[in-house]
Amino acid sequence: MTEKTSVLEKKPKSFENLNVLGNQGPSEKKTFYIWFHSRKIQKRLVMFTFMFLPIALLGIFTYYPFTQMIDFSFHKMKWIGAREWVGFKNYIDVFKREDCFGALKNSLYYMGGAVFQLCLALYLATILSFGVKGGKFFKGLMFFPYLINGIAIGFIFKFFYTRGFVLDTVLQAIGLNIDNLPYWLKDQSINNVSLAATSVWKYFGQNMVLFVGAIMSVDSELYEAATLDGANKWQQFCYIILPSIKTIVLLNLILSITGSLSAFEPAFVITDSANGTGTYFTTMHEIAYTSQKVGLAAAMAVILFGMIILATIFQKVLFAVLFKNAEIEDKKGGKKRENKINRMKKRKGII
Amino acid sequence: MKTKKVLALVLATIMTFSLAACGTTAKTTETTETTATETTTTADDTTAAVDTTTEATGVPAYADIALGEDYTDLTATIKWYHHKTDREADGSIAAYIAEFNKLYPNIKVETEGVTDYAEASLLYLNTEDWGDVMMIPAIDKNELSNYFLSYGDLATMSNLVNYATAKEYDGQVYGVAYMAGANGIVYNTRVWKEAGITALPTTPDEFSADLKLIADNTDAIPLYTNYAAGWTMGAWDAYANGVCTGDYAYYNQKFAHTANPFANKGDETGAYAVYDILYNAVANGFTEDDFTTTDWESSKGMINRGEIASMVLGSWAYTQMQEADSHPEDIGYMPFPITVGGKQYAVAAPDYCFGINVHSSEENQTASLIFVKWMTEKSGWSYNEGGLPINKDGEYPALYSAFSNCVLQEEEVALEGEDNLLTDINTETELNFNNGGDKKVQEIVECASDKSKTFDEIMDSWNTKWTDAQSSLGIEVLY
Repeated sequence: MTEKTSVLEKKPKSFENLNVLGNQGPSEKKTFYIWFHSRKIQKRLVMFTFMFLPIALLGIFTYYPFTQMIDFSFHKMKWIGAREWVGFKNYIDVFKREDCFGALKNSLYYMGGAVFQLCLALYLATILSFGVKGGKFFKGLMFFPYLINGIAIGFIFKFFYTRGFVLDTVLQAIGLNIDNLPYWLKDQSINNVSLAATSVWKYFGQNMVLFVGAIMSVDSELYEAATLDGANKWQQFCYIILPSIKTIVLLNLILSITGSLSAFEPAFVITDSANGTGTYFTTMHEIAYTSQKVGLAAAMAVILFGMIILATIFQKVLFAVLFKNAEIEDKKGGKKRENKINRMKKRKGII
Repeated sequence: MKTKKVLALVLATIMTFSLAACGTTAKTTETTETTATETTTTADDTTAAVDTTTEATGVPAYADIALGEDYTDLTATIKWYHHKTDREADGSIAAYIAEFNKLYPNIKVETEGVTDYAEASLLYLNTEDWGDVMMIPAIDKNELSNYFLSYGDLATMSNLVNYATAKEYDGQVYGVAYMAGANGIVYNTRVWKEAGITALPTTPDEFSADLKLIADNTDAIPLYTNYAAGWTMGAWDAYANGVCTGDYAYYNQKFAHTANPFANKGDETGAYAVYDILYNAVANGFTEDDFTTTDWESSKGMINRGEIASMVLGSWAYTQMQEADSHPEDIGYMPFPITVGGKQYAVAAPDYCFGINVHSSEENQTASLIFVKWMTEKSGWSYNEGGLPINKDGEYPALYSAFSNCVLQEEEVALEGEDNLLTDINTETELNFNNGGDKKVQEIVECASDKSKTFDEIMDSWNTKWTDAQSSLGIEVLY
């Protein structure tokens, strides 16, 4: 009892203290206090304080440097020393040089890898979401590569592809002759495929886990209904799963394609981006750090940014067109059903 | 409940404001720094004047410090950024510092070995409070005074240390090398003997014949390229100077002014001959089977055990190869096989130089000077690394015995007013000689391997780039 009363007594006291500190009239105080504690203001206050940190971090470490980079791209400059304004010369140079856009050709290998990776991930995710024995174990196993540092993966695969090492030994064990095997990193016709494969190995598990999550959110009654209607697994996949998770598929596709445009680690670590494996990013790194043409490299970065935006818009439009047809069919289907029901009702009414 | 809320709110505001404070201070230092760099480039003389005044107020010159006598009671903590991560890891740097602290117990030296030093150090340098001692990264010579303290003038310093000109600008010395090396070839003496070679090669043709003997008579890889590591390929640039021309003024003074410097001279000299050795070795199959999967770390043990016969690397590599396995006595070092006018030449070249932060406090600068002087004169670091002496009265390690018949000298520096000429043409052509231009040497290996380009085609493309850059930079062609 005593404790309770003391708490009750304390409360008004603390208000008094506030009043004294504020040095304002009691009526005004109360309105300010009420205003300050009103739900609207509190909500805004909480929103502001919670958002301030992330937005400040984003601004300081992402947007401020980005504007600086755009500024760099109009200068001829080294990391240290005086700058010289050159206007659009750096951008013109990027388009004139063979190595900048030539390196984009190698991104096609990574894009191909990305598509293969998504298909594989989708396939495995579908299988795993239909209750496989040890499903969680396999999920963990396949997700694991994503947790390894990219540099470490680079070193693993350098030895993996070394002549007579892991891959060659495995292939020999299944009966292939080493003389018929290519040099995985030396042969320029295959080395980019080898590199893209390491990137697939790293990321397919992560894609798969995202897909599994999305597939789990599909209502299982739909499968039951479909099974009753006689739909096989493939039809279930095409008409239930895929439309339900199309957003996450699109997201993964965009991430993978933009990721392959800016592929860096495999080429940089495994082959030192030499021997025809240089990507746009490694070329940019070479120009920025070895030749210290910072302006030119910044221009390359801005152009890459533009390309990624274009690729994203293109994909959005493409998907809108692809999925629009499906929606139109659905809408028509709905109308047809409605018409049918109306007709039935009419008939009933007539009867 | 209420008090808790208020507390949380106060905490949140404090945190946000403290962050905002960080942001603003960072911003102000950055703006001052950019203005500093922009203004100082136009007014080098004024900063030089500032430097001399700061020296007068308390920081002694390198020459005036008597180790073990002066400043023994100085208390300071200095921070040293360096690139020798391997020596940091094996504890030898800590051992040097422990030895140093016997003489100067109150100077605490904190060290940080940075991997990827060449790039990271440039980023450090842009903040003024990075520490006190740094191995000077690749910056233009006219920028040295903006970042580093002068050790003294060139006349005084060149009496005390070798290679004083390495980081010199306007008569002031801003860097003291930690070691110096000569450039030749590391080889396994046992394998070369087993192959039936009695005399060391002096010309590219003799070298090629020797590689063939090794290929025929032993199981070792005659020449290991270390292609995959990248920088090991850039090491080939170290021979495109006095070594291949016999002219120590060539690289820094004439190279940029030379018309078509990569043309075939026909007498097995010049840059053409240097890179031709590599092309031929690869084309004839005297190198490893799969160059893309070479591994630098394991190559050290392989040459030690005799699985590799030779590698083209600077003399700094010698001790690493000796330490890599159980046959240190088999490792030998020979001059590069090019003879100009009947003589072989070798270039003694300084490695990274100690630089002292011009923005540090006076005590820290004094302590750093003492530390650098001690490292140069007393530590024996250069000798232990198999380097040529930095201190004027230093000793030569045994590995240079094969160099007794060849001229060993340091390169002459660039002519006055042309300090940045070579850097400019290097970046303009993107060939980057001795400056991380690994890609161009790797291309030689690739083309030699799949025969996609002849050696002459590669050299022609380099000549074209060189000529284009000469005209776009307005460099006179004199030679």
